[in-house]
Amino acid sequence: MRGILLVIGLLAIGGVAGAAVALDFDEPPVRPPTWPGALLPEPVEPAFTPGRPRPLAREEFLFHWASVRQRVLARTIPAEDAPTVGYLETMTPEATTNVVSVLRRDTGSDGELWVKVRLAALPNGMTGWVPRDALGGYGTVRTQLIVDLDGMTATLLRNGRTIFRAAVGVGTSAYPTPTGKFYIRNKLRRYSSPFYGPLAFGTSARSEVLTDWPAGGFVGIHGTNEPELIPGPISHGCIRLSNADILELGRLMPVGTSVTIK
Amino acid sequence: MFDLTLEQVDQDGAFLDAVEGAFGRSRAEFLSKALVTGGVLLGALALPRRARSQEDDLSILNFDLAFEYLQATFYTEAEQLGTVDAMTAEQALWARTLGSHERAHVKIIKSVLGKAAVKRPAFNFGGATDTPESFTKTAVAMEDLTVSLLVGQADRFQSPDLVAAVFTLITTEARHATWARRIEGFTPIGKAFDDPMTLAEVDKVVATTNFVDSKLKTVAEGDPRFTG
Repeated sequence: MRGILLVIGLLAIGGVAGAAVALDFDEPPVRPPTWPGALLPEPVEPAFTPGRPRPLAREEFLFHWASVRQRVLARTIPAEDAPTVGYLETMTPEATTNVVSVLRRDTGSDGELWVKVRLAALPNGMTGWVPRDALGGYGTVRTQLIVDLDGMTATLLRNGRTIFRAAVGVGTSAYPTPTGKFYIRNKLRRYSSPFYGPLAFGTSARSEVLTDWPAGGFVGIHGTNEPELIPGPISHGCIRLSNADILELGRLMPVGTSVTIK
Repeated sequence: MFDLTLEQVDQDGAFLDAVEGAFGRSRAEFLSKALVTGGVLLGALALPRRARSQEDDLSILNFDLAFEYLQATFYTEAEQLGTVDAMTAEQALWARTLGSHERAHVKIIKSVLGKAAVKRPAFNFGGATDTPESFTKTAVAMEDLTVSLLVGQADRFQSPDLVAAVFTLITTEARHATWARRIEGFTPIGKAFDDPMTLAEVDKVVATTNFVDSKLKTVAEGDPRFTG
């Protein structure tokens, strides 16, 4: 009973005080000088405030690649005892880090993580599984190069949209440019040979005819010292562009870019 | 629910190996050593506050930027690989939210540093972003480490407005850590106080994970030997 009376009393006092405060809206409350808050400095303005977080956009045209960190055998399925289909070196014949196009990831029967990659090997189009540990960090690209052998054009897409198109020289009937899905392995520049123009891209595609060509017969995408022959079936399998076009492509096309030759 | 240790969080993960290799078996042991070591290092190396310069602030902020790069890349990679799509709706919301925050942190710190900002290093998470299990476990350890990093550095900034700004990051990162622990089913708050870590200690932990990779050589200058 005494408790109830106390509560009622407190509520009554609070009501009066609340009414007093509510009525006094013209004057700010005056704090006594002994109140410590009156002596506090103004709050510090933060030097920066992060902006509004943005979710990652859904990306339909995202391609992954990874470097090869250990020389490793590629297998038909993700298992240590599966048949091998080839091996991956850590470096390319051009002395750049060997990169591979990443197609899938899965956990093998051994419980380990495996990655399905596109091989830069004959026959063209071959894929294989390698342990995740053998690869370095993942890289991503949003670019695709489409080479149309009949139309003799190269078209670069970024996020599915055309950002570059040029006439190209392609392989002759005796030394055809291979068709299929490939990727850009490296970029060469500042070399002395005028035959290749000012810039050359290495691809994972290999000539199916010139199998004894030095360094493995890889198909490149490069400039030329005979621009008058473009477009045309003029090469030993490589894709040739005018020097102005290859320099523009060099600005737009990163290593790891997906290449489709059809 | 049970108290969190790094061993529980990071079973078979990179951080466990890293911390064990660097400091000892358990997180408690590691932290007790870190506190002792940190005290000695700070006592020996820390300059008087008045002697610090703007360069010190930039150095610390750049280290924080490098760590934010690490986090942002970690979450972004898991999302881009499709690992987040394979998680439950609650986990995916958590992962996407933290990713967006870390990217916002990178953006603002980079803009504050301007030309003095360090470039994004190459990262190799070695499988930690490939599966939901390894991803969430590593995220818990990473968020805890971030809190220790920021708590250890906030008062080292000479500029009061930088201190104020970093505190806004600390509270956010602490909530990230709490949410990550919740996602993994651990006690959201492991202990009554967060342990500060020195830059050297954080650097050592990160180094032993091998998450920071060497730059790749994808451009060369030798004569091509393509078929032509």
